Amino acid sequence: MADHEHIPHPTPRQYVQIAVLLAVLTAVEVGLFYLEEGVEQIGTSITAPALIVLAFIKFAIVVGYYMHIRYEKPLVSRFFATGFIAALVLYAAVILAMLFSSNIL
Amino acid sequence: MATTASPARTIFRRPASTTGLWGWLTTADHKKIGIMYGYTAFVFFLLGGIEALLLRVQLAVPENTFLSAAEYNAMFTMHGTTMIFLFVMPASAAFFNYLLPLMIGARDVAYPRMNAVSFWIFLFGGLFLYSSFFFGTTDAPIGGNLAEEVGRLGSLPNGGWFGYAPNSGARFSTGTVMDYWAIGLQILGVASLISAINFIVTIFNMRAKGMTMLRMPVFVWMTFVVAFLLLFSLPIIAVALFMITFDRQFGTLFFDATAGGDPILWQHFFWLFGHPEVYILILPAMGIVSEVLPTFSRKPLFGYPAVVFAGAAIGFMGFGVWAHHMFSSGVTPITQAAFGLSTMAIAIPTGIKIFNWLGTIWGGRIKLNTPMLFAIGFVAMFVIGGLSGVTHSIVPADWQQTDTYYIVAHFHYVLFGGAIFGLFSGMYYWFPKLTGRMYNERLGKLHFWVFFVGFNLTFGPMHWLGLNGMVRRTWVYAEEAGLGPWNMAVTVGAFIIALGVLIFMFNWSWSRRRGPVAGMDPWDARTLEWTIPSPSPEHNFGVAPVVTALDDFWAKKYDSDHEGRAVRRSSADAMIAEMEQTGLNPPAPIHLPAPSYYPILVGAGIPFVGYGIIYHTSPFGIPLIVIGMLVIVGSFIGWGVEPLEEVHDDHDDDHDELPPSADGRAGESNADGTVETDGDEEDA
Amino acid sequence: MADIAHADAHHDEHESTGIDSRKLGMWVFLSSEFFFFGALISNYMLFKGRDFAYETIMPRELYDIPFTSISSFVLLMSSLTMVLAHNALAEGDQNRTRTWLLATAMLGMVFIGGQYFEFTEFILEGMTLTSNPAASAFFMLTGFHGGHVFLGIVMLLSLYGISRRNGQLSEAQGLNLELVGLYWHFVDIIWIVIFTIVYLIP
Repeated sequence: MADHEHIPHPTPRQYVQIAVLLAVLTAVEVGLFYLEEGVEQIGTSITAPALIVLAFIKFAIVVGYYMHIRYEKPLVSRFFATGFIAALVLYAAVILAMLFSSNIL
Repeated sequence: MATTASPARTIFRRPASTTGLWGWLTTADHKKIGIMYGYTAFVFFLLGGIEALLLRVQLAVPENTFLSAAEYNAMFTMHGTTMIFLFVMPASAAFFNYLLPLMIGARDVAYPRMNAVSFWIFLFGGLFLYSSFFFGTTDAPIGGNLAEEVGRLGSLPNGGWFGYAPNSGARFSTGTVMDYWAIGLQILGVASLISAINFIVTIFNMRAKGMTMLRMPVFVWMTFVVAFLLLFSLPIIAVALFMITFDRQFGTLFFDATAGGDPILWQHFFWLFGHPEVYILILPAMGIVSEVLPTFSRKPLFGYPAVVFAGAAIGFMGFGVWAHHMFSSGVTPITQAAFGLSTMAIAIPTGIKIFNWLGTIWGGRIKLNTPMLFAIGFVAMFVIGGLSGVTHSIVPADWQQTDTYYIVAHFHYVLFGGAIFGLFSGMYYWFPKLTGRMYNERLGKLHFWVFFVGFNLTFGPMHWLGLNGMVRRTWVYAEEAGLGPWNMAVTVGAFIIALGVLIFMFNWSWSRRRGPVAGMDPWDARTLEWTIPSPSPEHNFGVAPVVTALDDFWAKKYDSDHEGRAVRRSSADAMIAEMEQTGLNPPAPIHLPAPSYYPILVGAGIPFVGYGIIYHTSPFGIPLIVIGMLVIVGSFIGWGVEPLEEVHDDHDDDHDELPPSADGRAGESNADGTVETDGDEEDA
Repeated sequence: MADIAHADAHHDEHESTGIDSRKLGMWVFLSSEFFFFGALISNYMLFKGRDFAYETIMPRELYDIPFTSISSFVLLMSSLTMVLAHNALAEGDQNRTRTWLLATAMLGMVFIGGQYFEFTEFILEGMTLTSNPAASAFFMLTGFHGGHVFLGIVMLLSLYGISRRNGQLSEAQGLNLELVGLYWHFVDIIWIVIFTIVYLIP
């Protein structure tokens, strides 16, 4: 806990560096999209997980650095993570239940 | 902050009065808001009750013609919608509002004016929903007498409280009544979401010194769990209601099976919200009962941590059982098995609570006052309802019983025998704190017994009516079915319940003025709200309390002898007298949130937008939306420049003793508010 | 959001968690927004792959990935300008704060403009709100996201207006700026998810 409070916020320069990183990740995402469109051998089984991982990394960077969750008390990140994970699990369950019912019955 | 606000910067002159009608309309005091929630909810309770009586008159004899099919549909829809969204939820909110700050030792909730906004949005949302009575249009249902006039009564929403698509969609529900329903619930959802955020932050942040999470009364814990359930389930129903509104108003195709839409999606989204919702309805009552039982058994709550964690577990697992409402809707065997199992599992934490309540009563010196009678009634009736409920986790049994009166019996045993018995227990229990006077005990007990007999006569026979094949939501049944006699008994029971309500109303309004003065701590209770005078003073606590134990007040009054029995300390009476003095005459001036016009204006703006959406194709639709938005945005702007509290002239000379916080946020956070300032408060 | 009552109503009390009440409230609200957008995204995912028994245009056939990539990039960069505004205020540089606030609002408007253009194109090419459930779900999801961006712009411009009028943002309004920032970044991360799930993954 105490550790969190002594980490200084990033400087403007670091914020810009983070933005560059985000931009590069976005470019990679778009690149993956065209790779999958253009090259036959690369199927969605490779690009889809890669895209999800990239999106999650961007998500985590924005939440961690721009929203300063790294520098907040753990309560905030626990709370936010609970909301995110609970929503993810819940809607995954809904989608599974819906897909099953349309395929089997 | 306060000093920078001159009256010239506000749109209206600040309301000055804290009494009279304006005092109520502009208040930001959590106790007044709680009382307004309570009375409003009770009015809706009477409306919902009248609707129930109309239903029962119709069903008293076979092939009755008292109500038309259209009217019957409207009545059962509005009975369910009213009792759930306009009575049990706001009545629980009344208890939360009034008691939560008192129980955790706070002056108010975290956002006092937002709290007022919640109430006003709720009130105007309820009125909007019921305005369908005057403005709604619909056609007679297929299967009814098509030539029959729908009438005003039939022009209330008629698609069931669950609003199943496609029955509630544009194709099968003509006219506007289901638009009133969908948008009305949307508005009520906004109110609940705001208050959920408010309660969560209040419980996180406003606790008195020493009030750790595991020293909070169980009622506060249940409030906390309910607020989380609301927070995470309301956005889901919001989306579902937007979808049905878009389907009806703007021609989207989400639930139109002929165009590739999927009505089952509505059921998933609805019950994703709807199942947590039933815990939203029952957990506040469980919290009330967990306060009443220890007080009248004169023992601490048996297994406090178990009750708390069981409550949290119910809340958590409540999100994982929704599809058990859909066993007959064509979900796969895997889904059925999974949700059957999770439904069985959720009985475990509920069972833990039941046994803890029994353990609390066991060996206690029981006083059978009215609150205790209702609390015991709650436990007994809730067990019956819980048992008939958990049997439906066996899927074939559910197929047999779904959409029959057996289900109606089940959920009335948990929601009436459970939630409403719990709420009445709370109303009697905290009546002295609210009014400073004591209700009439004989009438209270009479009310309980009339209620208890009427309740069981009403909902008990529904079990066998259902097993004998009486289906729900159908306005007539055939003579040959042989269901007549028991239906007559049910109707008689319903009128006995109504008699009980009349006794309660008489007792309440009489005792409020003429009851004997109750004193500060009439029940010899355990929690902080009993450490202040009755009725609660506007500032709640004369000095902010400091808590050192679970059931702190009890620990201050009682010591235990070598056999563990409670022995009243000799100093207890003197301590209570002193508490009363401090409560009435606070040693230091106390600043309270000042009244404001803006919360009620925000609430009043919202129905305009609702009407505008319903009538957006007519020439006055868009202007209505614009007017509503202007009122809302204008109120928020006015609100933004209005400080929470005014500097009171009569307190001016006291300002020196108060730290700079009277004028600003010094010592709380700097501009980025995160890094340096918080460390010293960490261990609080 | 500039309106949530101040926690300093209660002088003799403290914030038990040490987190400012208004900020905690914003985080609580944002975690419930996951459920709101989660429902809209699931709705789209359920319909996007369906075969409809009639002739219709699916959103996927119309996506203009280079265009959407650019507008996604614009929204991402608005998060940078937002955090720079926050940083400038923390350093007490009111002028720089105003500049970055305005820049953030402008980038947000560019994003909304892009969305307006995209919707218009789609409608011209024959896919409307009522074409099929997938199209309905697409418009509803991106429309509600756009609505959130719009609300963010309104709040940013209000802060800018207050700052212009008073010559500065006071400490209390500094917290408002932080709250608006949290909201703005949240809307951005939701778009990160939408961009991947709706546009990029087939």
